[in-house]
Amino acid sequence: MADQFTTPFYNQLVAEFENAPKGEETNSELLKSREDAFELFKAKGFPTSKDEDWKFTNLTPFLTDTFSLTTGKVDQDQVKNAVNAAVIPGLDAWMLVLLNGEVQFDLSVLPEADQFNVQPLEEVISTEVYKNYITCKEAEGNRMYALNAAFFTNGYFLEVPKNIVVNKPVQIIHLYTAAENMFFQPRHLIIVNENAKAELIEVSVSLGNAQRVLMNSVSQVTVKENANLIQYTIQDNAAEDRLINYNHVTQERSSRYDNFTFNLPGAELIRNNLEIVLNGTATETHLLGLYLVAGHQLTDNHTAIHHRFPHCDSNEIYKGVLLDKGKAVFNGKVFVERPAQKTNAFQQNNNLLLSDKAQVFAKPQLEIFADDVKCSHGCTVGQFDPESLFYLQSRGISEESARKLLVEAFMFDVTQKIENEVVKGYVQSLIYKKMENSLATII
Amino acid sequence: MLSIKNLHANIEGKEILKGINLEVKAGEVHAIMGPNGSGKSSLASVLAGRENYEVTEGEVWLDGKNLLDMKPEVRAREGVFLAFQYPVEIPGVSNINFLRTALSEIRTHRELPQLSAKEFLKMTKEKQALVEFEAKLANRSLNQGFSGGEKKRNEVFQLAMLEPKLSILDETDSGLDIDALRIVSNGINKLRSPDNAFILITHYQRLLEYIVPDFVHVLYNGQIVRSGTKELALELEEKGYDWLKEEFHGSESINKI
Repeated sequence: MADQFTTPFYNQLVAEFENAPKGEETNSELLKSREDAFELFKAKGFPTSKDEDWKFTNLTPFLTDTFSLTTGKVDQDQVKNAVNAAVIPGLDAWMLVLLNGEVQFDLSVLPEADQFNVQPLEEVISTEVYKNYITCKEAEGNRMYALNAAFFTNGYFLEVPKNIVVNKPVQIIHLYTAAENMFFQPRHLIIVNENAKAELIEVSVSLGNAQRVLMNSVSQVTVKENANLIQYTIQDNAAEDRLINYNHVTQERSSRYDNFTFNLPGAELIRNNLEIVLNGTATETHLLGLYLVAGHQLTDNHTAIHHRFPHCDSNEIYKGVLLDKGKAVFNGKVFVERPAQKTNAFQQNNNLLLSDKAQVFAKPQLEIFADDVKCSHGCTVGQFDPESLFYLQSRGISEESARKLLVEAFMFDVTQKIENEVVKGYVQSLIYKKMENSLATII
Repeated sequence: MLSIKNLHANIEGKEILKGINLEVKAGEVHAIMGPNGSGKSSLASVLAGRENYEVTEGEVWLDGKNLLDMKPEVRAREGVFLAFQYPVEIPGVSNINFLRTALSEIRTHRELPQLSAKEFLKMTKEKQALVEFEAKLANRSLNQGFSGGEKKRNEVFQLAMLEPKLSILDETDSGLDIDALRIVSNGINKLRSPDNAFILITHYQRLLEYIVPDFVHVLYNGQIVRSGTKELALELEEKGYDWLKEEFHGSESINKI
């Protein structure tokens, strides 16, 4: 721990907060929340491998660099090109573009506000709407969350009005410029009101030239009564990117929330925390994840589902394919509290190791306090089944194609659940592109 | 078509095949029988190229090409088909996608034009009808949810689709009820032609009532100890294998003297 306090980056952040001009914040509640969060971070520093939740994900090597907190000049052409490159081909969608956490209306393609309303978060944080989102009980003690809570200044606010089924998916593109090593801490708020339905697809792109980008973002999502939200996160990033996300979702009665998380080889560090709070009866939740880890990457998915009311169903499938010296962490917590009778909670985590040097640390965790529930979890770590491989080859299929078919088969449980065919095709093509080289070399 | 000369093979250091000699000509059906553990399935595996077998001696030629030099997929493309004793279930690989990939790679190798999606579907339907395999294939994973009998029938259907020169059926009759056995046998009989050949590995003479072989071989202790015509199968049915075992061990001791 002693090292923690002497790192230049830690010192830089502490100085930054303490030297910031006071009195700018007009919202006293928010100010207090920032100060509390900062005190927690100041006292404990960055998480270390001594913290149970960070046991296998050592942040230290990623925090030795210094990072700038203020953005420099932005090349508009570069930004436009990056937006074009990030658009999912063939997807008929609304588009929300953010640059360094700030909403760019001129680059976005958004409907009238009767479909959904987008505002920069800065304009919302002092309003009544934001009151419920200033603190986040489930994130208490999470120092990366606290760091974001202390510093965040921008992000997007997206709200779907009551009874509106948004007519197209919304692709959200986060761009980050990095003329030098940068640290970003955006914060986003999504509210899907009663009986409404929306589909969001988020990607992030850094526009650097080998400069490092550290992102510590927080999203808060509320899916109100009888509403339905599908959220896709496609993490197909550059090696220089280090992504730390905390996504907090509250579901009200009879709502449905589907989360798809795709981690592709690229970013050296991905750490996702997905926290679902079921705050009403008869909800339905689907958490689906695919992580492909290659090179020297570290990909960590932590999920938690809090069942607090009866008759809620949650279903989680995370699948990982590990190549090269990739390292993956999966931790899936399911809490079924005493009132949450008639809960159905299923969790499955499967890992396919395609290299002797790859590692996976998987930890399913069920805590059940109700007595009339159906819960299960399963976790496997395996390799290609040689008999399946031989069967395919014995029908004339080359070893390479056979491996491809088997990887496809392995991921099928997740990919088949992607209802948006364009997104499905896009994700599958990314997977094959990324895996082609690695697969060809494993014999 | 197939010429096996003095084939020896090991698995995990243990010798399983101890000098097999067998000639199979186009248009012929050979049955290989023998007691449990005699090496029948091992012979099938070695011919198809299963990885964990090590060939220590001997040669296998398929129409003048050295089979043992080829990877399993190349053997398949050259025309070897193994109907598995225990077909594998592969959840997530669709039957159709699997067949299309296999057929496409085989046709590329044989320098045949690729089939259009329509032609492929037509062929699938025709071959399914030919071998009386009604199972719905679309939107289903390879062999998943198939009964034991359906899996065996799927093997024969794949055989019909891939049009091999040499088909090796490893206990395709085991686990089939009488109706299924008849259907599978009918399918195979329809696929017989002067240009292809079959090796049937079986424990039971019953199969040979439906698919009449030109030759019957008895494999024992890694060698073919007796060859004959279909009458040999009847004799085995009646007398069991003991007389052959005794004969074999008798000749072995004579050789030692």
